[in-house]
Amino acid sequence: MTEQLYFDHAASAPRRDEVADAMERWQHGVVGNPSGSHRAARDARRAVEEARDEVAAFVGAKPGGVIFTGGGTESCHLAIVGSTLAHRATHDRSVIVTSRVEHDAVLDAAQFAASQYEGVEHRLVDVDAEGVVDLESLRAAIDPDVAVVSVMTVNNETGVCQPLDGVSSIAMGTVPGGVSTHTDAVAAAPWLHLPTVTASMDLISICAHKIGGPVNAGALVMRREVPLLGVVPGGGQERGRRGGTVDVAACVGLATAVRLTQKELVDVNDRVIDLQRKLCAALSFLPGCAITAPAARKVPGTVHVTFEGVASDEVLFLLDQAGVCASAASSCSSGAAITSHVLAAMGVAPERARGSLRLSMGPETTEDEVDQLIAILSSVIYRLDAGA
Amino acid sequence: MSGGVDSSVAAGLVLEQGHEVVGATLKLWGGVSDSGCCSVADVDDARRVAQTLGIDHHVFNYTDEFNRHVVEPFVRAHVEGTSPNPCIECNRHIKFDVLFDRARRLGFDAVATGHHAQVLEHDGVHELARGADEKKDQSYVLGYLGEEQLASLLLPIGAMKKGEVRVHAERLGLRTWDKPDSQDVCFIEASKGREAFLRQRVTLTPAKIVERASGDVVGETDAAELMTVGQRRGILPGRDGEKRYVAHVDVARGLVEVGRLEDVVINHVNLVESSLSFTHDEPGNRDEVLIQCSAHGRVVRATVVRDPSWALRLHEPARPVAPGQTVVMYRIDEPSIVVGAAIVASP
Repeated sequence: MTEQLYFDHAASAPRRDEVADAMERWQHGVVGNPSGSHRAARDARRAVEEARDEVAAFVGAKPGGVIFTGGGTESCHLAIVGSTLAHRATHDRSVIVTSRVEHDAVLDAAQFAASQYEGVEHRLVDVDAEGVVDLESLRAAIDPDVAVVSVMTVNNETGVCQPLDGVSSIAMGTVPGGVSTHTDAVAAAPWLHLPTVTASMDLISICAHKIGGPVNAGALVMRREVPLLGVVPGGGQERGRRGGTVDVAACVGLATAVRLTQKELVDVNDRVIDLQRKLCAALSFLPGCAITAPAARKVPGTVHVTFEGVASDEVLFLLDQAGVCASAASSCSSGAAITSHVLAAMGVAPERARGSLRLSMGPETTEDEVDQLIAILSSVIYRLDAGA
Repeated sequence: MSGGVDSSVAAGLVLEQGHEVVGATLKLWGGVSDSGCCSVADVDDARRVAQTLGIDHHVFNYTDEFNRHVVEPFVRAHVEGTSPNPCIECNRHIKFDVLFDRARRLGFDAVATGHHAQVLEHDGVHELARGADEKKDQSYVLGYLGEEQLASLLLPIGAMKKGEVRVHAERLGLRTWDKPDSQDVCFIEASKGREAFLRQRVTLTPAKIVERASGDVVGETDAAELMTVGQRRGILPGRDGEKRYVAHVDVARGLVEVGRLEDVVINHVNLVESSLSFTHDEPGNRDEVLIQCSAHGRVVRATVVRDPSWALRLHEPARPVAPGQTVVMYRIDEPSIVVGAAIVASP
């Protein structure tokens, strides 16, 4: 078996040992239901509330604003659908405004609300050639019917950062009383200081498995009190926003992951940005290669490129054979790589988008691994280029 | 690996033969589907079979190519009033063109599929032959393959009856062992049908149904594009009480001609020159062949005519064949071996 080179952190980051250790206590024997009143329940509740404090600090909000969920997709769904349902209770029309490059967690939630509820509309905002939201297009999309504006902090495919302050000032300034703003910070969490970069947003979605925590663990964090209805009311947990018994282990796993991420943030950024620079420089010499967005626009962990005349499927197959785990960054539920809606919105030609490749790094990625990756990827591209 | 039992067993058998095997599922259709082989459930089945066998599995996306080579020509042909066979186009352009090319680029020596057909080899020369299971034989849809493709094609279940394939699947512990066969065109929802599919894409043409002999109008249809030459279903019997068949479809003029069987039968078939494809040498003028004009159609004896355009003179009258259909030729001396294939031209 070839040694494995893991360059797919943006899909799921390696689970941290500390996370597994911290969760261990809550995965065996009696684990009380945090809603109960006895000793075991109180122990569980204490662990959940300690986790809530840590998540609140990570995002820069009050603990009371943290709603634990089953992951990033659920957090985004709750933000979009919950805001829309609350708005709809007092308005005839409710408009959801999102960028075209949001993750499907947001786009599909908006589409779902628009197709299921009368009077709900989903408006899409354009991005520029680098994938950055066009603020003029955003301004044009906002009117007094808008219920929520959702723009991601960092794009999950390209790693491009969005101008959230601009988004929120337009959202606040265009409609008297302002509108709710949400940001999907899932791809940003490993790299950015969320209390700063998401300071202007009302609702922030995060999840644990992109930062070394478990899957099916996440949170929607409410920085300021905005109208939000729960979409799964049953049981009334999480202040009525998310019914169902709270998963203590998941909360502890998320809290441990955010604590470690926050602690390492500056060091990891400093180190990985050098790896990103090195990787981009090497790739730019490969035939047909184009770097999707300039590094200054991106978080350090992601390198997104397209190869002309080469299909992602083929690159990924040969990389996999050589032990490299990477991704085309957009795939359907069957696992097939599909044409990316993000690249389409950026105006990348379909012939180029077919050859997209995302290499994503994390805290434990080493320079030696990057060197090995460069050697393998170069031989793969030269081989496919020769066979074309 | 479509997620069906045949390709599952094919993968298992080539692995047992000692080959190094990687499973590939082709994602072909991006739209809605309730049948065929592109649903997420089918990909999951294929992936689970690969896991059971202990081989790697990849999903390759060919939705663009499938649209370009199969779906768009399918729609266009209907507009032109011809009857394409999408399965043939898919096999030809996707499975044995694009996939073969990819296999070569990625360093594979051969492609194995679960088709019911056989590759025979004598002294380094390869022939395509019918599958051992007559009812399942798929040599017709592979009729366009040439020597180069046959030389790197493995058809491990071609010598088996379907029952044997299922026995192997059970023996190998594959979850697909009792999965029903797929029959329909994979990109058309069985519950809605071809008409709904076409109506979403083009405007269909209402047409008069005219008795060929008398010129009398005997009925009408709201979609001439859905009428196929040779079709009887949906056509009312004539005044004489006898069955009527579609003899000719003219979409542009909104006209469908019908007639009694003896009025519509044909005794020769014209071939589209550019579509001619032969496994090896092309047959000479007046050579005899056996021909088949649909997936499980009747086999008819015919003489090749090249004077100079290509045609087939049938030795007995046959039901009319729609332009756009594929005719596959088999050897007269070895009736299971494919000679070549061509598209049927207008009469």
